[in-house]
Amino acid sequence: MNSRTQNSNIFRRWFDGILSNKKALIGTYIILFFIFIAIIGPFFIQSPTEFLGTPLTPPSTKNLFGTNGQGQDVFAQTISGARQTLFVGFTTGILVVIIGALIGGIAGFYGGRIDDILSLIINIFLVMPGLPLMVILASWLPPGPGTLLGVLVLTGWAWNARVIRSQMMTFRNRDFVSAAIVSGEKNIRIILVEIMPRMLSLLASSFIGASIYAIGAQVGLEFLGLGDISTVTWGTNLYWASNDLALLTESWWTFVPTGLSIALVSFSLTLINFGIDEVTNPRLISERLWREKIPRNLIKDGVTPVLKNNE
Amino acid sequence: MNNYLLSIENLSVDYITDTEPVRAVNNISFGIHTGEIFGLVGESGSGKSTVVQAMMRILPPPGLISNGSVRINGEDILSASESNVKKFRWKQISIVMQSALNALNPVLSIREQISDVLKTHKDLVGIDAETRAKELLSLVDIDEDRLNSHPHQLSGGMKQRVVIAIALAIMPPIIIMDEPTTALDVIVEREILAKIIELRKKLNFTILFITHDLNLLLEFADRLAIMKNGRIVEIDDVENIKQGGQHSYTRKLIGSIPSASGSRQEGLLSKPDSLDFPTTPLIEIKNLRKTFQSPGLFNKNKLTAVDDISFKISEGEIVGLVGESGSGKSTIAKLVTRLIRPTSGTIYLNGENKQVTEARNVPLEYRKIVQMVFQDPFGSLNSIHTVYHHLSRPLLRHRLKSKDELFDYIIKMLETVGLSPGEKFADKFPHEMSGGERQRVAIARALSLKPQIIIADEPTSMLDVSIRMDILEIFARMRKENNLTILFITHDLASARYLADRIIVLKNGSIVEEGPSEDLIQSPSNEYTKQLVNAASPGWLETIHKNSDNKEIIDA
Repeated sequence: MNSRTQNSNIFRRWFDGILSNKKALIGTYIILFFIFIAIIGPFFIQSPTEFLGTPLTPPSTKNLFGTNGQGQDVFAQTISGARQTLFVGFTTGILVVIIGALIGGIAGFYGGRIDDILSLIINIFLVMPGLPLMVILASWLPPGPGTLLGVLVLTGWAWNARVIRSQMMTFRNRDFVSAAIVSGEKNIRIILVEIMPRMLSLLASSFIGASIYAIGAQVGLEFLGLGDISTVTWGTNLYWASNDLALLTESWWTFVPTGLSIALVSFSLTLINFGIDEVTNPRLISERLWREKIPRNLIKDGVTPVLKNNE
Repeated sequence: MNNYLLSIENLSVDYITDTEPVRAVNNISFGIHTGEIFGLVGESGSGKSTVVQAMMRILPPPGLISNGSVRINGEDILSASESNVKKFRWKQISIVMQSALNALNPVLSIREQISDVLKTHKDLVGIDAETRAKELLSLVDIDEDRLNSHPHQLSGGMKQRVVIAIALAIMPPIIIMDEPTTALDVIVEREILAKIIELRKKLNFTILFITHDLNLLLEFADRLAIMKNGRIVEIDDVENIKQGGQHSYTRKLIGSIPSASGSRQEGLLSKPDSLDFPTTPLIEIKNLRKTFQSPGLFNKNKLTAVDDISFKISEGEIVGLVGESGSGKSTIAKLVTRLIRPTSGTIYLNGENKQVTEARNVPLEYRKIVQMVFQDPFGSLNSIHTVYHHLSRPLLRHRLKSKDELFDYIIKMLETVGLSPGEKFADKFPHEMSGGERQRVAIARALSLKPQIIIADEPTSMLDVSIRMDILEIFARMRKENNLTILFITHDLASARYLADRIIVLKNGSIVEEGPSEDLIQSPSNEYTKQLVNAASPGWLETIHKNSDNKEIIDA
């Protein structure tokens, strides 16, 4: 009876919170829409790489978003590009959080010599210039989603580890952790069952932040031609649009759908992040709340409002 | 009614929430005469601090004053406009905040903080402000060189005195003191109170004194109001309240004060059948020492928190470890429970020369024998887990109960500590319970392993006065029923003597005196112990207070 009711309770509180939060709800709808399209979309469209004839035809009923410089259907490319882009983005997000939680968590919990060594590694990765390293690694390794994933995780995990480490250090000295130690609980259980759930909001927003970063960086690398240009992703879509001189030929439809999709995904993730912030930190909502309920003419800076004065 | 200097009528304060507003202060009225010390007593959540903040109109939204008036010399603060309110603040009424640490700005010097007030409210700058600032500091017995100091360079007592000096800066007729001594050690607390009484005598201001500590107010207030759940339940002269008061809540508060004077209240606590303990100790601590190394590779600063401590505790004995903050008492608790490793020294358990200090990983068996109850019941329970989880984990870890017996046993444990029916509490989360209930859960968790010794680190200091006695009673009963050994760590000599058979007095990491509770309190030999006993005895302040009144008569 115990473990299940507890978990459902934390998650239910979260779930209820997200559902009642407008920002988070809109963000969730948008991201679910894109995930849905990424999963089932490719089964319903024509091949994105097939040559259809006239290149660079503007949007029409035949080709909803027109065709690109290679005579391929832009609508099909936008939809099938979502799959790999989102997959690499979210997988990077998950891996970054897991590695960050593992290394940062262990460093923060154990402290001492272990912390010294792990912190050194974290710091080395933090001072390494991320962008040049990404470019060099991506151009040196064989192109493909695996390479992208590896490069993004390698350059992205350290910051998360740093944040989780400091959070872990504050939890490490809390009484409830000491109490668990005194009752003989194993360290690994204390970290996973007692402390990690308390960091849920941090982990969730780390995941979202890392995913936004991963999608952006991935598209950037592919745009530079450092991805596998034979696959269809949002990044390669932009790469080809640029290669086919989309701006010079004024064929806006070749890059706007993809660009808009990327912007919308990042926007929705940011909305969810705001929502999580408000759900886990009620102080952010409370001001909006009392401003609605206290008559406006009573609210003055630095003076408590008085509703009725019994003169 | 007009002869009151400060009068509050029908004051109600609400907090706006997403559902119904919460009424924190419910239609209270009282008046304070010129020159009076008026005490407002209440436990946490009674609304006493809200009253103060509403009076000054410094309560930020979502706080909302929904009704009432606050008059100073007949003028109503609540109907005053925004700019007029500023004429009341500090000129008519000033405030000494609860925590001097938070009331002082850490990046400004004392000079800047005092002249800030002088400039804002009195337009005093330059040499005049300087002179006045020095005057103020000398009023509270602080050397004028200290004007250049920053708050972190002052001790807690000095900081509190600076805050008082700032409140006095432009001599308002009324000063509100919101728990001015709560964060301070007993001896310093008495010094501050003596200073306040002396200053009042000299400068003749009126005091509204807010505290949770009824004991304190009984000694020097003139009149008292007792608040509970946002209402004043009783308001009377202090003499009448001393006699026991009219309201049942007042009587409960008075009954819950342990005293360091008179004979130990026999019979109130469950006494063991005999106070002769076995001569072989259950736990023996020998030459324990702990030094903390400041972080950093080249930092050679070391802090010795516990310096060569040795003591023994026999089975079934309750030993009180008394000391002020910084005396190392919590470090000893952590050393004995092996939350931290000692720098040197040994702990022998069960007289069998078992050196538990050597092993890097503490044996599970030791965890079963030695349990701990923490100070803060809000921190020692994990907010995301139920009571059932907290109690079941230790039992499962030590394989004491099978899954089938677990539930019944936990219900039984909860009822042992006074949480009945246990089924009702088992599925609760910490935030659904009061502080006292949480502390009971924490005690039940410690007891559930049937340990031989419990280290209780200030188990009552974060709790409301009216439930402290009940918690102490649980410990006493456990000792009587299960022959439990308890190391009771506290800063409060009175409650240590109430519960403990033997008291060890600690100062700066060393033991200064040790002896049976009664002997130690009746005839302390060490100078420091004498001070502690003095500060804990009622009537100490009363004497000063009375003396200052007498002088007034003589002067007159």
